[in-house]
Amino acid sequence: MIAQRLGLAAMRSATKPNAFFSQNIPRMVLASAMSTSQARSISTQKLTPEEGQQILVKQRLDRPVSPNLGIYKMEQTWFGASAWTRITGCALSGAAYVYFTAYLASPLLGFHIESAALASGFAALPFVVKGAIKFALAFPFTFHFINGIKHLVYDLGIGFAKAQIKRGEIALWISSIIGGGYLAFGL
Amino acid sequence: MASIMRPSLLRQTALAAKPAFRNNAIKAAAFHTSTQRSAILPPGPQRIEGTVNDPAPIPIPNATQGSYHWTFERLLAAGLVPLTIAPFAAGSLNPTTDAILCSAVLLHSHIGFQSVIIDYIPTRTYPGLRKFFWWGLNLATVTVGVGLYEFETNDVGVTEAIKRLWKA
Amino acid sequence: MAALRSSSRILSSSRAAFRPSAVFSRSMASVSETEQPRIKSFQIYRWNPDTPTEKPRLQTYSIDLNKTGPMILDALIKIKNEQDPSLTFRRSCREGICGSCAMNINGQNTLACLCRIPTESASDVKIYPLPHTYVVKDLVPDLTHFYKQYKSIQPYLQRDTPAEDGKEYRQSKADRKKLDGLYECILCACCSTSCPSYWWNSEEYLGPAILLQSYRWLVDSRDERTAERKAKLENSMSLYRCHTILNCTRACPKGLNPGKAIAEIKKQMSIGA
Repeated sequence: MIAQRLGLAAMRSATKPNAFFSQNIPRMVLASAMSTSQARSISTQKLTPEEGQQILVKQRLDRPVSPNLGIYKMEQTWFGASAWTRITGCALSGAAYVYFTAYLASPLLGFHIESAALASGFAALPFVVKGAIKFALAFPFTFHFINGIKHLVYDLGIGFAKAQIKRGEIALWISSIIGGGYLAFGL
Repeated sequence: MASIMRPSLLRQTALAAKPAFRNNAIKAAAFHTSTQRSAILPPGPQRIEGTVNDPAPIPIPNATQGSYHWTFERLLAAGLVPLTIAPFAAGSLNPTTDAILCSAVLLHSHIGFQSVIIDYIPTRTYPGLRKFFWWGLNLATVTVGVGLYEFETNDVGVTEAIKRLWKA
Repeated sequence: MAALRSSSRILSSSRAAFRPSAVFSRSMASVSETEQPRIKSFQIYRWNPDTPTEKPRLQTYSIDLNKTGPMILDALIKIKNEQDPSLTFRRSCREGICGSCAMNINGQNTLACLCRIPTESASDVKIYPLPHTYVVKDLVPDLTHFYKQYKSIQPYLQRDTPAEDGKEYRQSKADRKKLDGLYECILCACCSTSCPSYWWNSEEYLGPAILLQSYRWLVDSRDERTAERKAKLENSMSLYRCHTILNCTRACPKGLNPGKAIAEIKKQMSIGA
């Protein structure tokens, strides 16, 4: 290593006046041992700034978009609390939108989804199915409710320390699953 | 390390010394995910408005889409907290409170869906689709509003209905 | 080598400037002689603008950690020096103050110079450019729009009244303290490119980094354009695409809190203070 250094220093001092030459010595010396592309001669072309800009604009059109959702840490994308607040909210509201639209249309279409009809139909289902349906409704509700409150607290500017965020996220998942389970099976 | 040996010399000696190592160690793997264009919400080819020295354009200020909207949204959400706890505490709600809860939830849902549309269907890339979803949502919310009114007046009320269903 | 070493010792005793390098080379040599090689593989995103029709791919490089510095950037430089000179990435200060080497390492945006090579697991290290950016080459993203957005918030002091003493704009200690945790931002874009909201709407949404800077000028007691600055954020896109996802706070390699800064802006805008 020292030998290399001394050698390089000697090479440098020998060719000091010509900076270009000293930079290219190693490349020239080793060119024979390397692929030919390293030793190609450089041809230049004069361009106006506008022409240069056009080349840049064309290059931009070719550029790929770097991977995002596919590669980012799962717990911050697919399992992010904020994303699931949106998903659970959309699921609940979507279900409500579908139900009440159907309710409005039911007299015209001739099917019965009044509360009494639904309740009697629901009562006829086996316990497991009932519990599953209840949990499928109760979990999104508890999750959206608890994280909604958490976000309202964030909006007051409270709870942004990294450790708090991490603990809050774990507490959110546990409490919403337990809460959902209680609403589904405990009530 | 870098200061001792200039990269140019080191790199070339390394390449010259072991070309076999280079070929063995570097394995090119075909990319598994599609990245030529992002699969979800493709942003399209890169176009930059103006020169690199121009600031990005700023939208026209409109507080009803900005801070007023945000404040209203938060107040509504905060108001929903006691409203949703109330039926659990009281069993079910009287028709007036039930109607207040339902309209608040409807507004909250509408704003939430709007936010989803703004996020995922940007005007700059899908102006037509954006308009379609925007007005589709308005229509859906009005329809659901009427449905809710029918349900409140002809049926037992939302909280009571959920209670009966839950206890069934 | 032994002869060389003794000669270098003589050299180092006579010339103080030589000592550090001589000591360093000796310790490196002893390490590599005694220990087993610890091979680590790095899968690195490659895309070459000279062949734009070729799809981006992952290329695997294996290096011996015993002969590498502790950080990801050391590994990248070693790969570039010894295995593949065409590997392209930005780097400058190697100590987390320039923000050049921001990239996505094992699914987390961070600075390569501040990120240790994980030694506890044998799994490959995956390195991508910053997510959802246009790639110039390999690990180099195009940040033109990011800088244009920065320019749009006018990141400089604006005031009309001259200083009271005619010399400088003074500030109380309490007011100065408000800038702590804001002025340290190096604009590496780790936070902005970790934000899904910024992924989908980077054209119009300013993103955490620029909003943190925006807040830095909003709270500066010396600035007199607070109202104008706020008016620029009064629309559905610039600020309010933030949904408090908080990936920004988790990503910041400088330990700053863009999420909190944005929450403070929203609060100020709402209260009108």
